[in-house]
Formats: sequence, C-alpha cells, structure tokens
Amino acid sequence: MDNAKELFGYDSLAFFGKVSASISHELKNVMAIISETAGLLGDLSDMAATGKPIAPDMLRNCTDSIVEEIQRGFSTIRQMNRFAHSVDTPVVSVNLMETLDLTINLSEYLSTSGKTDLSPCEGFTPIALTCPFLLQAIFYETLVYTFKHTGPGTEISISIQPTDGSAWRITFSGFNFSEFHVFPDVITKALAASIGVIIYADSTADQLGMDVPITIESLMVHPVSPDIPNMGNASSTRA
Amino acid sequence: METENTIKILLVDDEVKFLKAISERLSIKGFDVTTATNGDDAIDAANKGGFDVAVVDLQMPGTDGAQVLKILKKNHQFIEIIMLTGHATVDSAVECTKLGAFKYLEKPYDFDKLVESLKEAYQARLQKKFESNLKRMEAIQKMSLHQSPLGLLREMAKLDDKRK
Repeated sequence: MDNAKELFGYDSLAFFGKVSASISHELKNVMAIISETAGLLGDLSDMAATGKPIAPDMLRNCTDSIVEEIQRGFSTIRQMNRFAHSVDTPVVSVNLMETLDLTINLSEYLSTSGKTDLSPCEGFTPIALTCPFLLQAIFYETLVYTFKHTGPGTEISISIQPTDGSAWRITFSGFNFSEFHVFPDVITKALAASIGVIIYADSTADQLGMDVPITIESLMVHPVSPDIPNMGNASSTRA
Repeated sequence: METENTIKILLVDDEVKFLKAISERLSIKGFDVTTATNGDDAIDAANKGGFDVAVVDLQMPGTDGAQVLKILKKNHQFIEIIMLTGHATVDSAVECTKLGAFKYLEKPYDFDKLVESLKEAYQARLQKKFESNLKRMEAIQKMSLHQSPLGLLREMAKLDDKRK
C-alpha cells in the first residue's frame, strides 16, 4: 500500500488548499460575529452606565448569539480535523456515507453552495477500501461544480446503492444536468481514474453517477488512465 | 451615545447575525442603517435609498459583492462603497479597487476602524458632490451668457440627466 502515496499529486494539494481556505473563511465569519456581538454588549454596557434602560432581551439575544457562534466554530473545527486526518492513511476502509457527509459539510462553507439531501442506506453499510482523501476530492468537485452551474437554490439528492458486488454506485440528482454536460473536468477525471472511480454522465435522466470500487488493491499494482464512459455502456468500460 | 450627522448606510452581508450585531452598533453610534442579506436586495434598496455609503461583503451567494459594487457605482454617482471580506487576496483587493471601492477591509476587523472608514467615505462623497455641483454652476454660468431663459432650463435639465 506504500504505492498509494504516489496518488497524491499537485491537484490533490490544490484541493487541500481550496478546502482549507474555505474553512478559514468560515471561521473568520464566526469570529466576526462574536467580535461584533461582544462589541455590542460593550456598547450596551456603556449605555447602561449612563442610566439608559437596556432591554434584558437584547442582552440575552447577544449572549445566545455568541454561544451559538462558538458552537458553530467548534463544529467547523471538528470538520477541519476530520478532513486533516483523511490523509493519515493513503488507503483504508471507509464508510462512504461518512465520507459523503464530511464532503457535504465542507462544501457548505462555500458561498455558492446549495442544499444536499443524503439518503440513508437501508440494509447495508457502504464500506470501500480506497483513498479517502482523493474520494473526498472527487465528491467535493462534483458538488462544487454542480452548485456553480445550477445556483445556490438547487437541492442535490445523493444516494448509494450496491451494484454487482464490485462497486458502490453513488447517484447525484435533482438538477438539470444538460446545463453543464462538460462535467467531469480533466482534473476530476484524473483523480477518479487514479482510484478506479467511474463517473457516469446521464443527461437524459439528469443524473451524475459514480461507481466506487469496493477495493482498489488491484489498482495499486496496475494503475489506469482516465476515461469517462456514458451511462449506457458503463458495464463494458472501466475508467 | 455618540451622534453622527445621520450618515445613511447600506449594510450587505449574507451572515444575518453579523448584519444584526453590526447594524445595532452603528445605530448606537448614530448612523442610519439599512440592511440587505443578498446582492439583489442590496441593489433594490440602493435604488429606493439615497445612501451615502454602502458596506458590502465580497462573498455572497447569487449576485456577489464585486457585482454589487459594479452596479452601485454605475447607478449611483456619489455612493462610496467599503468592501468586507473574510478571505482577502491581493487579486480581489485589486479588482475591488479597480471597480471603485473606497476601502477594502478584512474580517474580523476593528469596529473603530470601520467607523473611521465610514466617516472618511462620507467626506469623500461630500467632496465629490461639491466638485460636481461646482462644475454644474460653472456650466450654467457659461450657458447663461448665450441662452434664453427657456433654453437655459433645457440645458440644465440635460446636465442633471448626466449627473444621475
């Protein structure tokens, strides 16, 4: 599995940078709200000192707001921590639901982001031996690209289904795919190919699909080049 | 409580809590504050408004801060705009300056610095208006030498159209 370390190239570093920047932006917003609300409490104290009556509700709203923002900050730091640790082991067994959940949370820090609805898996746990970091990058780019082209009002539905026993099929739907049929871009294609993920573009059903192999052990020995098949001939072509 | 000479401010940010806290603080300082949580609402408010200064967050869903800056500067000759961002880069600072932003502040910033920037922006707006009025007066004086009273009124109307 040492060969897996070679999977991390400049593009994945760029992804790491992009996500880190969006997290820092989120934390700055949190700090700005806490700073302004604390400042407002100071202003209200000054007013009270001059004998001006201050409504208790106003003080309560300020303290509630500060507590909520601190919780938001903690939650962001938790996501940041999960993300940072995703490079600890290049290839590991992951629960795809957890990987998707983290990626959705990370993508929500972008101003272009809309809503996402991740359907629960019933009767199975989608475990795959893969590179969690690169898988996150592929999911993230898919969400970002979709929201960028459909607008923040979109709600993307995501579901996971088992296929023939060799892969998990992840479907992204709920948007008009014909508006941006050029997805995936070259970088996402290359990232997907490096861990054997096949991306399907089905413009007739307005869906993006991904087949994530249950294991990438064979790919560690025989790496593959990127190729994006259509949904129709998916069974005969592997990226 | 300090009182300013009722400077009319349009505050634009998609972070509702931030908007609420900062508008309260500026109101306590005596500013007349109107808020908008997205770019389109900000443009609508400015069209109704008559604001002296706008404080606009750069990153917002939909119509972003740079687009708001561009549209407000195009439609409102004298408005001054302060850009706020949680993600300052040299490129975005240069872009905002080129589009006519008065100042570019990074979050979290010092509140007193914002207040100071608002006053400076207001002074700059007054100066611009003064210079524009001066030019108008000079133009009217020149025209009055060659025009009938009715012709003079027509030319003045044309001048006012240009100033909008």
